[in-house]
Amino acid sequence: MPSIPLTTGPYTILPLCVPATAAYPHETSHYLYVRQHAPRIEDADTPRSLFVANLPIDATEGSLRKLFAAQLGGARVESVDFDGLRSKKSGSIPIYFEAGQKRKRNADDVPQELELPAVWDREILKSGSSAVVVFVDRASAESALKHCKKAAKTQKEVRWTPEDGLGEKRYLTHHTLRYPPKPILQSRVNNYMAAYHALETARSRTLSKQRNLPDEDGFVTVTRGGRVGPARLEETQAVAKKLKERQKNAVKDDFYRFQTREKRKEREAELRKGFEEDRRRVEEMRRRRGAVRPE
Amino acid sequence: MAPPALKRRKLSHSLNEDDGSLAQPPSADTSGTSDDEDIPSDASNADLGSVATSSQADEDEEMVEDDADGHDEEEGSAEEEDDLEDEEQSKPAPQKVGKAKPSNGHQHTQRANGFQGEGYTGEVYKSNLFKLQVDELLQRVRPRHGKKEAPAEDALRTLKGIIERIPDREPQNANGGLLSNAFLQIADAERSLIKTSKIAVPFPHPRPPKDAQYKLQYSKPASINAVGSYPLKIATRTGEEMCIDLAVIMPSAIFQEKDYLNYRYLYKRAYYLACIAAGLKDDKSHRFKLNFDYFNGNRLLPVVLVRGSRDGSKGDSSASEFQIRIMPAISDDVFRADKLLPVKNCVRLKPGDNLASVSEAPPTPFYNASVRNDCLITSYLKLLHGASGHCEAFRDACILGRIWLRQRGLTSDTSKGGFGNFEWAALVALLLQRSGKEGMPVVSTGYSSYQLFKATLQYLASKDLSKHPQSFGVKVVILPTSDGTPVFFDGPRGVNILYKMTPWSYELLRQEARSSIAMLNENIFDQFTPTFILRADHPLHRYDLLARIPISALGLSSSGEDLDQELDRICRKMYSCLSRGLTDRVSLISIMTPEEDPWELGSRRSPHVRDGNLLIGFLMDPTNANRAVDHGPPAESKKEAASYRQFWGDKAELRRFKDGSILESLVWPTKDSPLSIFERIVQHVMTRHLGAPVAENVTFIGDSFDHMLPGGGHGVQPGVGLFQPMMSAFRTLETDMRALENLPLSLRHVQASDPQLRYASIEVPLLGSGRPMSQPADVVIQFEGSARWPDELIAIQRIKIAFLLKLGELLEEAIDGLSARVGLENESSSIRNQSFLDVVYSTGAAFRIRIHHDREQTLIERRLKDKSLDGAAREEAAHGVAEYKRDFLRSPAHTQAIQNLSTRFPMFSPSIRLVKKWFASHLLTTHFSPELIELLVVRTFLQPYPWQAPSSPMTGFLRTLLFLSRWDWRNEPLIVDLSGEMKSEEFSAITTRFEAWRKIDPALNRVVLFAASSNDPEGTTWTDNAHPPVVVATRMTALAKAASQTVKQQGVDLEPESLFVSPLTDYDFVLRLSPQFTKDGQRRKDKGGPKAQYKNLQLQATSAEERELVGYQSVTLFLAELKDVYGHAITFFYDENGGDVVAGLWNPSTARRAWKVKLGYSTVPVFKKMKAAKEDEDTADVEINKEGILSEIARLGGDIMRKIEVNRQ
Repeated sequence: MPSIPLTTGPYTILPLCVPATAAYPHETSHYLYVRQHAPRIEDADTPRSLFVANLPIDATEGSLRKLFAAQLGGARVESVDFDGLRSKKSGSIPIYFEAGQKRKRNADDVPQELELPAVWDREILKSGSSAVVVFVDRASAESALKHCKKAAKTQKEVRWTPEDGLGEKRYLTHHTLRYPPKPILQSRVNNYMAAYHALETARSRTLSKQRNLPDEDGFVTVTRGGRVGPARLEETQAVAKKLKERQKNAVKDDFYRFQTREKRKEREAELRKGFEEDRRRVEEMRRRRGAVRPE
Repeated sequence: MAPPALKRRKLSHSLNEDDGSLAQPPSADTSGTSDDEDIPSDASNADLGSVATSSQADEDEEMVEDDADGHDEEEGSAEEEDDLEDEEQSKPAPQKVGKAKPSNGHQHTQRANGFQGEGYTGEVYKSNLFKLQVDELLQRVRPRHGKKEAPAEDALRTLKGIIERIPDREPQNANGGLLSNAFLQIADAERSLIKTSKIAVPFPHPRPPKDAQYKLQYSKPASINAVGSYPLKIATRTGEEMCIDLAVIMPSAIFQEKDYLNYRYLYKRAYYLACIAAGLKDDKSHRFKLNFDYFNGNRLLPVVLVRGSRDGSKGDSSASEFQIRIMPAISDDVFRADKLLPVKNCVRLKPGDNLASVSEAPPTPFYNASVRNDCLITSYLKLLHGASGHCEAFRDACILGRIWLRQRGLTSDTSKGGFGNFEWAALVALLLQRSGKEGMPVVSTGYSSYQLFKATLQYLASKDLSKHPQSFGVKVVILPTSDGTPVFFDGPRGVNILYKMTPWSYELLRQEARSSIAMLNENIFDQFTPTFILRADHPLHRYDLLARIPISALGLSSSGEDLDQELDRICRKMYSCLSRGLTDRVSLISIMTPEEDPWELGSRRSPHVRDGNLLIGFLMDPTNANRAVDHGPPAESKKEAASYRQFWGDKAELRRFKDGSILESLVWPTKDSPLSIFERIVQHVMTRHLGAPVAENVTFIGDSFDHMLPGGGHGVQPGVGLFQPMMSAFRTLETDMRALENLPLSLRHVQASDPQLRYASIEVPLLGSGRPMSQPADVVIQFEGSARWPDELIAIQRIKIAFLLKLGELLEEAIDGLSARVGLENESSSIRNQSFLDVVYSTGAAFRIRIHHDREQTLIERRLKDKSLDGAAREEAAHGVAEYKRDFLRSPAHTQAIQNLSTRFPMFSPSIRLVKKWFASHLLTTHFSPELIELLVVRTFLQPYPWQAPSSPMTGFLRTLLFLSRWDWRNEPLIVDLSGEMKSEEFSAITTRFEAWRKIDPALNRVVLFAASSNDPEGTTWTDNAHPPVVVATRMTALAKAASQTVKQQGVDLEPESLFVSPLTDYDFVLRLSPQFTKDGQRRKDKGGPKAQYKNLQLQATSAEERELVGYQSVTLFLAELKDVYGHAITFFYDENGGDVVAGLWNPSTARRAWKVKLGYSTVPVFKKMKAAKEDEDTADVEINKEGILSEIARLGGDIMRKIEVNRQ
């Protein structure tokens, strides 16, 4: 009887044997959860993909490729799409494109040079992250899964062979990569700004066109940027505030007697409220730390 | 305005309870004198008690029940009613009915109207919060004559009975037909007591002369009364033994008119006391423990101390904690009061000196007052009773005073200040009376208890009674005594009530009063806890520096009882010498003598003080404490100069100063000594005036904390000075940048934003060696506004890079030997700041410059509000805003504030560094922003109460730890007022915000510690996103508690190092790191080693390489990655100050649970337990894969890791 279950839900549990290291001289086990990829929205690659969960943090495309090729039936991996990659940029769309054709043109022009240089030579996964492994064809995906199941069942030892390149050296490399050479950095910035300006001008042109062009019903769309210097939100707010203040000062609120009376009442109510509040606080304090007692 | 109908209803209502509401007068057998006109009449009491409405009573009953935890449940209901009525006299309970009525300071009207609850203003009580807490405190400690006190009452009755039965002892003349020789009389009396009852008569020193011409005798006492706080109902229940004074009034017949002279009265008194002791000892009907003791440490007045034996017959050990002091006394008219005035001499040098010399003999104020003390016992009882009669807040004011004194370690005992409960009560009572001269009392009877309390403190704080003695009720002006004893002369009773005080204890009292007044005048923060709850008397918390001298080193010549007087004399001398020598370097010098214990009836007192230590506490003035040059008097004024020389010996030199003056002066070189200047002055003064052996045996306590700081070695006073090179390097950077001409936009601000630039880093940045700093100091710059900035976040980030590139280029061109390069950060998010410029000067100063552009905030906030973005993007925006505010707004402002405070408080910087070191050595630093730790220390300095702002690293550090150990961060925010102008609205806004956070996030998953300041009302800038998490905050509190406990237990014997030792066994696993990557510079040193051919080449090579490595710390990167990779599953602990271990704790939530695909940590599947197997799903259970993760960590760390130790599986 194996010491661990063979499957969990639709997943096959594939134990990996991890070699010992100098700092931690014990051979340990790591467990992959493998299944046929089944996303909510399928695409053309789905049938030839496996979904692998609970990857070791040092898993790379290469190491997974090697794992399947050497130890799990020799299935050939086409690509690996990691889920929990740390540096995966959120909001990495460099520029907000308005129109479809513009995007294409820009993207074709200088797709890479817009981004800042990478600062890590090798990424580390978050613990317990997953990946979609796309095989060359459907048959290899199926065979890979079959081999996984078989390995789990027969308790065949599948070894995890980590790739080198971790440790202090990687951090040193990172430190060097953080400071890209000036020319590269300069050109990336210039490229980006050029693209940005091109886009801005294109956009303002469209906008002004829209402003002047009545649609089929004869209406002109109201768009931003009509005036020369468009008012910013803060400025309008400031003006509104000023206006309010002026209104406030117009009729003093202690003009009538009833106003003063009400004001006093309010103040009294406030005082009372404050007192109740304080009493509540003291009671709570007592509840918390018992009766007051000099130390 | 009070509806009259309501008032009437209340009065009529209370009439029904009138019988119950009569305040009980002091119980008949223990009360003072019956003919006292000042005893409050029953009628007036009924009046006072009559406002009790039923709702009030109910409420109070509840409260009483609430706090009667454990030992008071069985209190009789009658007693309880009593208590309630007592409370009514002094403590108005909050009312639910009625309207708010602004108080005008008149308690009476308030009380009658029943509106006390609301609208208390700062006048009558400090604040509602303060008042409510005071009420609760009073209720808690106010004496109740209940079960707990019953054994004491019984004991009083028993003692009274026994004493009354003691047979008279006639003057022992012609006993057995022997000669009626006076010598034999006294000796016989003494001997017979030893023989019959084994009682040694506690004669004061000097012992009665052998040729004494008077007789000793005992006859039945005139009366026996309980006196002092117990019958006055101002004794407090504070957890210690209850102490009751029982005065035995000796019959006047046994004294002669002149007995006040030459100790004669005291000998007779001692004999009388011994007879009482003998009588008590011989009586077998009780089980008390008997001892002799001194009355408040006054060596002239012995008393018998009676303790309830613990194994009480009732088997109730908690109830029998009491002690009764039996003190013989006499009635007021036995001796003439004018003979015992403080200016008179009553101890003739030699018996039989002629009368002419009497007027010249030095006055004996202490002796006189001690004798007077015995005469006035009933008289003071009357006074205090009268005061509590006509001023209803008097009792509560006394109770508040007692607690205040107790928390400050001040008692009537001579060795502990000589100002205690009695002196407080008498002072308040006298201040309430019309003083003869001014015609108006200092305080009014209409004051509330708090006002009385505060006014008394104010009186103590403002008047210097040792320089300007006050006489009260008489016109006679009494000259100040030469020895600095304060004088508050109670005219009608003819005694200085402060006669037991020493100059230093008086200074201490005033100091405490002053700081309490300052504290009570502060309105923003609730000062209740520091006023009444915190104990302020621990020497390590109280004094900035302590010196310890073993008494054996003082070279006290005499044995036996002379010792006391000699010790007293030496202390006074030491005090005056030190005061003169240390001048304005200190604000307070206090000498503490060892305590004395009661002694056995059958033996003489053994002066065991010999083995003890004298402890001298200093409160320093940090700006002057280590001044290197002292200016004395000018050479022309011969007399002063001579006395100066006389005082300082060969240390005094005549010097000519820049302004042309020629002065006697002292120069203290700063080098070549393990001691600081301050300590050397102490030693010098002691050597010169008390002898070398004393000076050699002085050990200083407190300075060892200074030596624990890097760069703070021996004799170097830590402070801001060490950081000066760094600060000037920063100023250079600023001028250099402003001088650049070709910048596209000119600079608006250059702001420092780094601990190294606010005197707050543990390590002092070392410049000038050519070796660059290991960590560059953060600097924030802002350009002047321009419309040409793009209005889009990512584009702004790119423009920043362009600016930095340009700036670096220009700087490199302009300044020789400077290197600059642009680096990237926050690679995972494009809306956060992405670039910085590292600038390294040839001196080694390194800065990291970031650009602040204020448009960013609006743009990020717009993203935050953009409904079209998905959750993750909005969360990122939220983080972005928080980070923007932190890095570009709060951090520079914080740096500015800390810089200011560092110059205001010289010991602020070293205190911060010590506290940081403490956090670091307990592996906590990665979880606490440096700013948060700094705010904790700021609190210690800006809200130092009950003390004053610390003037040494030790006090700054230990008090911060004390605060940490007491900080209930779940329920209390940390609020500090950096500006000093915080309004109470701001304060309450912060509190509201805190409460809101606790409501939103009761499990403390996001905000654990809440630290707000006047700069940062949001309070979460430094602590958001569980920084630290609950587990770490709890550990911090536990560690601080343990440390404070150690401090309390070990006291002055504390080894500072022991507070910085952290055991690693508490963690689940420990990662040992290879030493080559941990200690700063170690790595570089190794590299520089082999190729040391040409020094200059090598220097160039290394410095280029070193510049590349500025800011590089592999372990920090490793740790950051670990945190990122394992998230909440593991909490890591690391000492960023170069430690070589990383400790870890598994999160308990990673225990066995049902299987799920994305748990966020590596798992190991296990079979489901049978019980749960019935579920239809065939999933397994999972646990965190601890071994797998440790192996992963080992792989990730590679050569950084040396070893992994697992403490727990």
